[in-house]
Amino acid sequence: MKSYINNYELWCNAGDIKSLMEAIYSKNSALVEDKTFLKDTTAGLGIMEYDDIYSLMREVVTKVLKNSNLDNFKNTLLILGSSVGGMQECEDIFYEQKSYKNIDPNRLSMNALTDSLVKEFGFYDSRAISTACTSSANALLLAKRLIDVDAYENVLVVGADGLCRSTVMGFHALSVLSSTKCKPFDKSRSGMNVAEAVAVVLVQNIQTNNSIELKGVGASSDAYHMTNPNPEALGAIVSMQNALKDAKLSKEDIDYINAHGTATLANDKVEALGVEKLFGNSVYVNSTKAITGHTLGAAGAIEAIVSCEVIKRFLIPPQTGLENQENLNIKINKESVKMRVRNVISNSFAFGGNNTSILIGECK
Amino acid sequence: MKLYIKAYSSYTLNDELDIKKELKQKYKLDTRRQDAFIHLALYGGQLLKEKCEIKKDDELYLTSGVGNADIVQKTNTYMYKENQPLKLFDFINLLGNTTSYYVAKSLGMKGKNIFQISDNFTYINTLISAYASMLNSKKDAIICSMDFMCEPDVIMKRVMGLEQNSKVVSSVNYQKLSLNPDGAIAEIEFGLDENSTCKTEDKPHETYASYIVNCALRDKKDLLHVEVFEDKKRTIKVKSIK
Repeated sequence: MKSYINNYELWCNAGDIKSLMEAIYSKNSALVEDKTFLKDTTAGLGIMEYDDIYSLMREVVTKVLKNSNLDNFKNTLLILGSSVGGMQECEDIFYEQKSYKNIDPNRLSMNALTDSLVKEFGFYDSRAISTACTSSANALLLAKRLIDVDAYENVLVVGADGLCRSTVMGFHALSVLSSTKCKPFDKSRSGMNVAEAVAVVLVQNIQTNNSIELKGVGASSDAYHMTNPNPEALGAIVSMQNALKDAKLSKEDIDYINAHGTATLANDKVEALGVEKLFGNSVYVNSTKAITGHTLGAAGAIEAIVSCEVIKRFLIPPQTGLENQENLNIKINKESVKMRVRNVISNSFAFGGNNTSILIGECK
Repeated sequence: MKLYIKAYSSYTLNDELDIKKELKQKYKLDTRRQDAFIHLALYGGQLLKEKCEIKKDDELYLTSGVGNADIVQKTNTYMYKENQPLKLFDFINLLGNTTSYYVAKSLGMKGKNIFQISDNFTYINTLISAYASMLNSKKDAIICSMDFMCEPDVIMKRVMGLEQNSKVVSSVNYQKLSLNPDGAIAEIEFGLDENSTCKTEDKPHETYASYIVNCALRDKKDLLHVEVFEDKKRTIKVKSIK
């Protein structure tokens, strides 16, 4: 059974899809340098305008439903990918009151977000995946697998993460947070920017006029180190190879790689090496996190949407923020490239060497 | 949907065993920087490893109804009540896939690993996820189902919708699953929803279905287990291969 991405919407620091794509193509980063979360220093952050993560999710999901071929979600599986779930609200209450007394436990855990959507839209079934920065990429992977075996016809993948003090301070403690806007794949990159977003992707087993095919998914585990990837890029390579194998495509069929590209020293060095070993300089590669920041659990879904737009627009985006490319053996474009984009690999890599690659492409 | 069970392990936390000490002394594992939730997962994994061969490319699914609530309580207390900075390894342990990383590393696994959480049909949904992936990859899979009760347990009971005087336990249950019947000790069948008007009794933890399956495997008995959530039910059938 084939899987098709038939509809999607998002909200992030750059706004909706249209605004985000405009920002990406015009190299206009939506990141800000903010003092809110850290006492003595600034942090480059991707902050969006919204009331709360629950109402934002409802709003974005409603848009997808309106534009879909479905009347409701009663025959749809919901898979949420999130790294912190309902922790943002829990943190805010605890920060104010120093007590758990007024925290609603049903809005605290990972599946608090899925439960709220199930109550609102009456999904047939739901589950939540939390694998840090690969969460919604793994949700897409699972969506394809479940459609493969005919378990479900419609799967709604939601990637959602709201900015939390814990994540900002945690990445700061890890010394991987940049105080300025991040510069993926640049020699002088100084780290990543934590960000927030909601991205919603409807995956179905039927093709429509507007479909992009979810052709292959691949995953691997380094189990090398808790926070560092395998230095030989073995995990990243296996993940991309598995996606190619699943799609029954070869590396020559890929025109663009939307990289994980967080701009941390370790990730970009290893991911570039993985791309170099597998593709050489035959394929355009860059990271749109220079615009959005790292939206953590939402990143896989956000970047899958960006990849769909790249295919539909016949336009490979430029790398924002790049001055001096570190690895010169891969093809990073500083300006947009107009061309037919047949297939795209979107990489998501997470702590613990949890690697996922999504391969999407034009429909035949 | 049907899979074969090659091996299993079960452990319910009690005061008699110091798991951290056991992991260090008996299994020679590095337990530094980890918390009790991770130790429980690692211990169950080692018990499974004693019973079967775990291959490098086996897939790993770690599932939990509530996840590691203990670390959320701990970090919030540090940051907002005691005004302490967030400690590096508490932040790392806060993340879902940290536990699956340590489990994969301790078992020498390099295959896909997923941390799935759900309070409705937690275990059965994970079986379905694993089945769908295994059909494609043709690999075996390890499912680790676990719930850890943090102190005070008031939040856990509120999440689970239990009365405050209910008994809750910390438990870890593993199965090694395969599409191949060779050497299996049981077959397990499961599927999607059927309508239901049944009600179930309170569970002592969210992954109780996995524990019940392991009890049937231990006793070499066949099992029909039904879980109910609102108007839906899901059924697991275990048939012992004697």
